[in-house]
Amino acid sequence: MAGTPSVAADRVLLSIDGREVTAKPGTTILQAAQAAGIRIPHLCHEPRLKPSGACRLCLVEIQGQPGFHASCARPVERGMVVSTSSEPVRSLRKTVLEMLVSEHVMSCSTCDRDGECLLQDYAYEHGIDEKRFPSIAPAAAASGVPNYTSESLAISYDPSKCIRCQRCVRICEEVQGVEALTLTSRGGDVLVSTGFQRPLQETACEMCGQCIGTCPTAALHEKAARGKGKPKDLARVRTTCPYCGVGCQIELNVNRRVNRIVRVTGRIGSTPNNGLLCVKGRFGMDFVARADRLTTPLLRENGSFRKASWGEALEYTATRLREIRGESGADALAGLASAKTTNEDNYVMQKLVRAAFGTNNVDHCARLCHASTVAGLAMAFGSGAMTNSIADLRDAPVIFVIGSNTTECHPVIGTTIRQSVASGRTRLIVADPRRISLAGIAELHLRHRPGTDVALLNGMMHVILQEGLEDRQFIDTRTEGFEELRAAVEKCPPESAAAITGVPADDIRRAARLYASAESAAIVYSMGITQHTTGTDNVLSLANLAMVTGNVGRPCSGVDPLRGQNNVQGACDMGALPNVYSGYQRVDDRGVRGKFEAAWNVPLPDTPGLTVVEMMNAAEAGRIRAIYIMGENPVLSDPDIAHVRKALEAVDFLVVQDVFMSETAELADVVLPAFSFAEKDGTFTNTERRVQRVRRAVRPPGDARDDWRILCEVSTRMGYPMSYPDSAAIMEEISALTSIYGGIAHDRLDGTGIQWPCPTPTHPGTPILHRESFTRGRGRFHAVQFLPPRELPDEEYPLLLTTGRVLQHWHTGTMTRRCEVLNALVPGGTLELNPADAQALAVSSGETAVVRSRRGRIEIPVAVTERVDRGTVFLAFHFREHPANALTISALDPVAKIPEFKACAVRVEKREASRP
Amino acid sequence: MSARLDSVAALEALRGRLAGQRDADARMITVCGGTACTAFMYPKVLVEIRAELQRRGMERAIPVKVVGCPGFCSAGPIVIVHPARVFYPRVREEDVPRIIEKTVLGDETIEELLYVDPATGRRVVHDTEVPFYAKQTRAVLGLSGVITPTDLEDYIDHDGYAGAAKALSSMSPQQVIDEVRESGLRGRGGAGFPTGVKWDYCRKSPGSQKFLICNADEGDPGAFMDRSVLEGTPHAVVEGMIIAAYAIGASRGVIYVRAEYPLAVRNSHIVLDDLRTAGLLGENILGTSFSFDVEVREGAGAFVCGEETALIASLEGRRGMPRPRPPFPAQSGYQGKPTVINNVETLATVPLIVRKGREWFRSIGTEGSKGTKIFALAGKVNTTGLVEVPMGATLRQIVFDIGGGIPRNRQFKAAQMGGPSGGCVTAQNLDLPIDYESVKKVGAIMGSGGMIVMDETTCMVDVARYFLEFTQKESCGKCVPCRIGTRHMLDILTRICAGEGRPGDIEELEAIGTAVKSTSLCGLGQTAPNPVLSTIRQFRHEYEEHIIQKRCRAAVCEALVEAPCLHACPAGVHAPSYVAHLAEGRPEEAARTVRLRNPFVSVCGRVCDAPCERRCRRGEVDEPIAIRALKRYAADLDGRGSAPLVAPPSGRRDVAVIGAGPAGLSCAYFLALLGRPSVVFEALPVAGGMLAVGIPEYRLPRQSLQADIDFILAHGVELRMATRVSSLDALRAQGFTMVFLASGAHRNRPLRIPGEGLPGVIGSLEFLRRRALGEAVACTGSVAVIGGGNAAVDAARSAIRLGAKTVTVVYRRTRGEMPAFEEEIEAALEEGVRLVELAAPVGITGSDGGVDGLGLVRMRLGEADERGRRQPVPIDGSDFVFPCDMVITAIGQVPSLDAVDGALETSKLGGARVDVLTGATAVPGLFAGGDCVSAGGSVIEAVAAGQKAAIAIDRSLGGAGLLPPGAVQSLWRPSEEQLERTAARAREPVLPAATRAASFVEVQGALTGEAACGEASRCMRCDLERAASRAQARTLAAAREAARTAGTAAQGAR
Repeated sequence: MAGTPSVAADRVLLSIDGREVTAKPGTTILQAAQAAGIRIPHLCHEPRLKPSGACRLCLVEIQGQPGFHASCARPVERGMVVSTSSEPVRSLRKTVLEMLVSEHVMSCSTCDRDGECLLQDYAYEHGIDEKRFPSIAPAAAASGVPNYTSESLAISYDPSKCIRCQRCVRICEEVQGVEALTLTSRGGDVLVSTGFQRPLQETACEMCGQCIGTCPTAALHEKAARGKGKPKDLARVRTTCPYCGVGCQIELNVNRRVNRIVRVTGRIGSTPNNGLLCVKGRFGMDFVARADRLTTPLLRENGSFRKASWGEALEYTATRLREIRGESGADALAGLASAKTTNEDNYVMQKLVRAAFGTNNVDHCARLCHASTVAGLAMAFGSGAMTNSIADLRDAPVIFVIGSNTTECHPVIGTTIRQSVASGRTRLIVADPRRISLAGIAELHLRHRPGTDVALLNGMMHVILQEGLEDRQFIDTRTEGFEELRAAVEKCPPESAAAITGVPADDIRRAARLYASAESAAIVYSMGITQHTTGTDNVLSLANLAMVTGNVGRPCSGVDPLRGQNNVQGACDMGALPNVYSGYQRVDDRGVRGKFEAAWNVPLPDTPGLTVVEMMNAAEAGRIRAIYIMGENPVLSDPDIAHVRKALEAVDFLVVQDVFMSETAELADVVLPAFSFAEKDGTFTNTERRVQRVRRAVRPPGDARDDWRILCEVSTRMGYPMSYPDSAAIMEEISALTSIYGGIAHDRLDGTGIQWPCPTPTHPGTPILHRESFTRGRGRFHAVQFLPPRELPDEEYPLLLTTGRVLQHWHTGTMTRRCEVLNALVPGGTLELNPADAQALAVSSGETAVVRSRRGRIEIPVAVTERVDRGTVFLAFHFREHPANALTISALDPVAKIPEFKACAVRVEKREASRP
Repeated sequence: MSARLDSVAALEALRGRLAGQRDADARMITVCGGTACTAFMYPKVLVEIRAELQRRGMERAIPVKVVGCPGFCSAGPIVIVHPARVFYPRVREEDVPRIIEKTVLGDETIEELLYVDPATGRRVVHDTEVPFYAKQTRAVLGLSGVITPTDLEDYIDHDGYAGAAKALSSMSPQQVIDEVRESGLRGRGGAGFPTGVKWDYCRKSPGSQKFLICNADEGDPGAFMDRSVLEGTPHAVVEGMIIAAYAIGASRGVIYVRAEYPLAVRNSHIVLDDLRTAGLLGENILGTSFSFDVEVREGAGAFVCGEETALIASLEGRRGMPRPRPPFPAQSGYQGKPTVINNVETLATVPLIVRKGREWFRSIGTEGSKGTKIFALAGKVNTTGLVEVPMGATLRQIVFDIGGGIPRNRQFKAAQMGGPSGGCVTAQNLDLPIDYESVKKVGAIMGSGGMIVMDETTCMVDVARYFLEFTQKESCGKCVPCRIGTRHMLDILTRICAGEGRPGDIEELEAIGTAVKSTSLCGLGQTAPNPVLSTIRQFRHEYEEHIIQKRCRAAVCEALVEAPCLHACPAGVHAPSYVAHLAEGRPEEAARTVRLRNPFVSVCGRVCDAPCERRCRRGEVDEPIAIRALKRYAADLDGRGSAPLVAPPSGRRDVAVIGAGPAGLSCAYFLALLGRPSVVFEALPVAGGMLAVGIPEYRLPRQSLQADIDFILAHGVELRMATRVSSLDALRAQGFTMVFLASGAHRNRPLRIPGEGLPGVIGSLEFLRRRALGEAVACTGSVAVIGGGNAAVDAARSAIRLGAKTVTVVYRRTRGEMPAFEEEIEAALEEGVRLVELAAPVGITGSDGGVDGLGLVRMRLGEADERGRRQPVPIDGSDFVFPCDMVITAIGQVPSLDAVDGALETSKLGGARVDVLTGATAVPGLFAGGDCVSAGGSVIEAVAAGQKAAIAIDRSLGGAGLLPPGAVQSLWRPSEEQLERTAARAREPVLPAATRAASFVEVQGALTGEAACGEASRCMRCDLERAASRAQARTLAAAREAARTAGTAAQGAR
């Protein structure tokens, strides 16, 4: 046609309101209009949800097609002529709005969302007549009839403000995959509720609050935020969530007048979480304002703490450290960095230990979670981080989740997996000793015995090679050592794997075929793999599996370790490890050391230092005399805590720098009050290597100080002056010395953050590692043989204990157990026990059991559940009242020195009712 | 079934064997086992039949077969005795031994158990002769009532699975699709989408997995076609599914049936199991390469799940809510796969098309709509049930020919078609050939075939409210307009029905309704306003009456109706009270009660058209109370001597009434009750208007009229006889500030045919007036009266009495359509009047000497007019001359508006235009009522007009317009025993025809005291029942209002 502008073949040309617009086929009229800057009012639609067509506000006219069409649900067609605001459309839209308003109590002046409400906006813009229809707002609202949220501390539902757009119901089903919400009744009586109107907490609800996040009015709101500030009074500070390694972008809504975080919101379109939060991200921020925050330095005097000035505390600390170094040498000092603090804090911490203390004795709790990943993946690929991005999981044809209770430990990634399975794009294999939530939607659940991962994976690879499902070309061109692998897995046919793992051989075959036949397949794993004496072997096996099928270096494939804490990746990246400087530059490499000595202007030690558990052993043995701990709580988090406590008590000088008086701080000689994440500026690096900003939202309490500033003061007073004007300046030093962070600077991170490696200031970052070649050149296969866990059940300790987390709590609970909602949801731990075992032990749910191992005993209520298999029990390690790590074993992986949290032998007895 | 049918040949072999075993002359008893007959307890009858046969040792010799629903649901339980096919409806257990004794074994029919055709009163022996069946075209229902529903062999024996075998063995899927498309079959579920096109679309959608769903989620109130088909011939449905699945390439099918249809669910399960065993479902059906299986899924009874995307959501285990289309199910349906959803009736039609061929199907029906359609006939119709007719049959055929018309000969008002999504088809479309397009054109839809007949006792506002209540309750609540818009519409309708309607409500209903239609997501919302919009379009006046007059003409809306009889009386006479007084033997109290609202108690006791009796609830039990006769009884006993209700008012007479007919005198009377004296001007030398000079004395004796006039005058009304008012100004000049015009309609409407001016041609009004005023009226020879109303009959009967040799009434329609009272026509015929039907005058022949003949043309009845009366159409070339000597014309009246001389706007009939509530004209201070407004109405309407005007005038003059309470209440109630007793209605004595034709003596006598008391005791006092519920309703309304006020206050406070 003459005069028609040329349109790319894969674009559709249409006309909207007289303007020519092009769009991709399959996009909706609404999307096409929005992209062209044409605004079409809509309430029930948001980009994370499938079109619903419920609110009827986005109706448009289409030439040649009678009637009115919901633009949110109507795909564009070539040559369509659309009118979005003709007189009939506007008039009908106004009527529909007037209907909506009649169902909604327009009490805007007292509403929490006044000024941030789509209905209010549209009503205003369309000049609607509030009185046209008499109010039919449900009487239930006015008279306070209980609804499904009445007993919830977290969420409140106000039917009088609900416009039944069903976004909450749909996000719960389509996005969160929980289906806790539904509509009840019919016709004008329709309300949002739960099945059979049960209280929310009795449903499958995970309290993620996605429903609140999508609610276009104030029908759903954080209960605690009611009346605490309207949007106009709240500053929204975008920052990074302080909990797990997903690194969700959150907005702290701060009422500046009272210096309080009122609520937490997500923003649709944000990376990586697209506005989604989990229960901790949404309801876990009240710890920041807790009255028991540390506010002044404390010194131990005659067995108890007294307040001290900063000058006194810092001077005393520096003096004691100097004295001990003088007496016993630099290696008698050690520092623990923190996966909870920023990259900048960690960099300064390892610099303090190396440059000011003069030792490489620096480590942090990554040792306890992913040391085996760092070691194993470095051996196989050359670098130990998640190869792909979270977003890849959305389109992966197959996902193999092994040793990761993703929905509880990395909830938003769990949600992503659920979504991709629900969409039909993804087939899911889960290997886990427990029947975790993802097992319920998996095509295959391989319920292997704890600690038998190598056997399982070797069995799968045996099938792959036997059936010719391997990727020959990839093996030939990209890898080395294949024959070693072949020799190793040949010895492990599925039948023998079945005997070891307890997984039927046919299931192993099906899993192998499913994984290997996929166009691409991603492996997701976490501490179920790493926290074993065979942790490194387990990781190597996964690397083998991925390489043998060519599933590395491509989108939607890869090996994806999910890092536990918010900044465990960053703390490792920053060199808070005994053997490497920032960017995994080895301390025993002369050239590297020379670079750092020059930059820091100090001679540096050349031997790797001690790891966490080694430090504790050395402390107990008296070789380590002083430990400086920043933001960690090894008394609860480390294995065999009796031993840890003994070690910390044995050292001459213990400094703990934290936000709360933790179990570890209670043992300290000096306690220094630090900022929480909400008071800090800096960066976290999430599990997919994405460096993201942390921004100060509230004023700190009392005399608390920023971690890196305290460290600088101590360093300076020890004779090695350190000072930076701000955290951005620290990042400048990091990028100068660290090639993978070479292009990273605070002012580049405001959008989506940057995934390292990012070597130059113009580099966009690297979503997928090992694309053309592995970091180490060729990928290296390792022949791995199955080895059993160090301690197996026997007659005396007949049950196998495995440990982990629950959704609502975090690590040792210092933060989450101080959050009202989280602690109310799960006020304590339970021992998960299979019904058969429970019967044999004559205990039932709610009764208290005594759990003993060779290292300790705890008392804890029992939860009888099929989630665990017969012979296995499970404990979460968050609770000081019944600490799981009183029982765990400190046996270490020989390579990564990670302890075997996931398997030890225990005995369970029913606690006798009458005790003196 | 013994062996698997592993080939088409095996199927045919089985069919052959079955045919060989059949004996058409064998004795057999069939009993209907449908759902309606189950409700009528057919199992008891069945058990009794079997027991009786066993007692006689005949249980092996005479098979008893339970068959599917033949559709004649109002006649259940139905037993048919074969081979003679003797048809017994409504069989009771105790009838069984006789039936077996006489009919089964003795080949006799039992007369009193036979079916009586309500139209003719004739007894019918065979089912095939029952009009209900005889006038249907049963194709899809052909086997219903013939075979045992779940018996596969029985079905095969009746050509079952021959269609499927033909399709699978000798046609390609595309050929099947072509056959169905070319046959013109359209979806019977409602929208009428061409079935073959839908199949083709699905077949061509990409994807290897496809689904076929049978939609048996029928949910329209009053519709049960799908249910009956699935219950009665489930094999036909499954056979249709096999053919459809083969055509579209589906390997899995689902019957989605609502759980409330237990028999349909059970039968479906049984036949599916049998078919799997027989090799007609599952792998390699009939040995072909085609594999297909069907499962039954039960819906939870949500109306919206009939919508295909909601149905799919429900099948997928989600809340049954629709989603936007496109994509259509044929592209992306169940589990995202291409899916065809066909309705039960559609699928049951498919085997017939494949077996008999497209031409057979195309030969039935109309241009755009082929084949037959099943309707579920329900509501105010004599015979309810399932009716299958060719597309293009008329509503009249269905309602009157098949359904036997309306009970009690009430007026057909409308038929709701298409259920709550449809609209009403009114009387004027009774002769419309029904097909998809024509029904749509008149504002309804075919829908799935629900047809609810409504008569004059149906309130259209209430009907709209009912349907909207249904759709609002069944709305899934997903989209805004359907959830909220219909709710507001329902609230408005509920208010209107509760007497709380407000001006503007109709317009708001139209506005919301239009918005809901245009903006709703699915068909449910898009059609939910239809019943409202359709009734507003057709019956706007009923809405207006509810809103403005707070009146429900059908006497349905409880809040507006105390008792139906009272409500039906235009003047508001409290019939229940005065009937009660008579039951207690107090005629004076009774007369006094009547007079509180109607001074013409003697007159109305004789000539009232008694709308009260047509609404009487006793009539629902047996016969209505003889309210008019009771009134006369009271009037006659009370006589002339009764005292005025109030003392004559004093003061200035500033109201003038023009005309001393029933409207004028009533107005003056009620003004007196309101304390205002008035002057009545009458042009004629007698008072009473048409009562005196229009109604012959044999119906209304002069002294009876005079008694009522005397009573009125006793209230101080001043009557100026023989005084013609020349102009309004003249009255104003005399100081009258208010004028009520009641000058009547005293001229006949002209015929406008040649010869009308000849001597010997006279208008009926002039004829009757001259006779009434004592003038000589020559009446000899042969008289022709033209017209069919009461004036025509009065003229005819007067002519007989005046000595005419023959009197013939000529009417252009038939007797059934004559507007004159039925009993008057009957009496006239008894007196020798002749009737010539279907003839219309075209000219009058004669000379100056007089008339010698009336030229007539024969008529036939054509299509209905707006009231449903069939319009006469002349038959070309059928003219003839009727010899006669005199012609009396009586085809309508012309209002007399001389006094106002063109000052008023007039209606189509020439009457003055007035406000319906007040009688006010556009001229300030001038009110009008009676025949000068209506161009000929009833006496009681004239009284009502006078009453309304009196109240309005009083208000205009600053009064409150409050009449005394309308009844001297009596709380008498019939005893239980009286209620139970089915007594015949009392009849007034009548003079023998021969005697009365010779004089003007009153024809009708009065009831005796005993008869009157007995008759009055039949009254059920439903007013007292309603009074209780009205009080309750008022309490509720008050509570609601209080809650709303509180709610608004609470909102304001928030």
